[in-house]
Amino acid sequence: MIRSSIEKYHPADSFLHADSFPSVWCPGCGIGTAVYAFIEAIKEENIGPRKIGVVSGIGCTGKVTECLKLKTYSVTDGNVVDYAVQLKKKNKNLTVAVFLNNADFLLSGAKDFIEAGKRGVNLIVIYVNNFICPISENKVFPITPFMRMSIDNEFELPFNIPHLAKSCGAGYIARWTPIHAGWMKYSLIEAISKKDFSVIEVVSPCLIYNANDGRIQDAIDRMNFYNDNSVMKNEEPTENLDLRSQNKVIIGKFVDSEEKAGRIQR
Amino acid sequence: MKKVEICIIKERCKGCGICVEVCQTNVLELSEELNSQGYRTPHVKNPEECLNCGMCEMFCADFAIWVITKAEEVGA
Repeated sequence: MIRSSIEKYHPADSFLHADSFPSVWCPGCGIGTAVYAFIEAIKEENIGPRKIGVVSGIGCTGKVTECLKLKTYSVTDGNVVDYAVQLKKKNKNLTVAVFLNNADFLLSGAKDFIEAGKRGVNLIVIYVNNFICPISENKVFPITPFMRMSIDNEFELPFNIPHLAKSCGAGYIARWTPIHAGWMKYSLIEAISKKDFSVIEVVSPCLIYNANDGRIQDAIDRMNFYNDNSVMKNEEPTENLDLRSQNKVIIGKFVDSEEKAGRIQR
Repeated sequence: MKKVEICIIKERCKGCGICVEVCQTNVLELSEELNSQGYRTPHVKNPEECLNCGMCEMFCADFAIWVITKAEEVGA
């Protein structure tokens, strides 16, 4: 769409490429809400558009960099966290955020994530977890939900991402769904002001692949499902946060640690 | 109470209907007319009852709807 054809401007339009809208995401996707919360957090912290770097990889979250009018970098699969660490190392004044999905993170980029958490790099990792990985649509992948069968009739237990991040040494860990966009915004504000590795998991609905079970088809039904099946428990021990054995998704802020003594700030 | 105005860019909308669902006072309604992409877009049914809570703006993933107060508009 040509920009001159719009008479009015959204308050977030100074951070967006207006030509890229309507965006490529499905109606009812949670990624757009995460982008809105991220822009609101930037506006609240008064960071200029040239002081923020955003890195993303492939897939649906890879399209985030196409619509943001910031310093954005779209890199190949598996190198996202590695690229962001190098960007932060060379530009100390830049605030660097990373948008990850399952293919970028768990299939090919997990080693860089673990290493960046160990070294305490000042990154903001926004991990959009929508329980799909289209490369292995018919096979078992690391985040397949419990009791969801594949073609081979195998099932595995999915990863507990907040526990993984805590054992890597992350200083700020939270988990939200797109329904809780207001809390997500304040969580991002805290993560931006924190000088440590911070991880925010967004449990997001996917309307194409997860609707194949025949129970939930509509965007509103999917959002109502997450509204009814989420419980807020702040400061819950991260061992209890796995998505497999409980009926409800536990959301909240789990870890907000002080800066560790003796750790080199990078 | 301040007067508010609800702005909608219909060409950005995808018709998911979340803004209609989250509105507490039933200000919005899905209309019958289609935009150029073929989606049913929302329109403002009764603007007097808008509380300026900002929920529709927060949940719109395509940045297509927002609420401004009249005082802001004059100042801008």
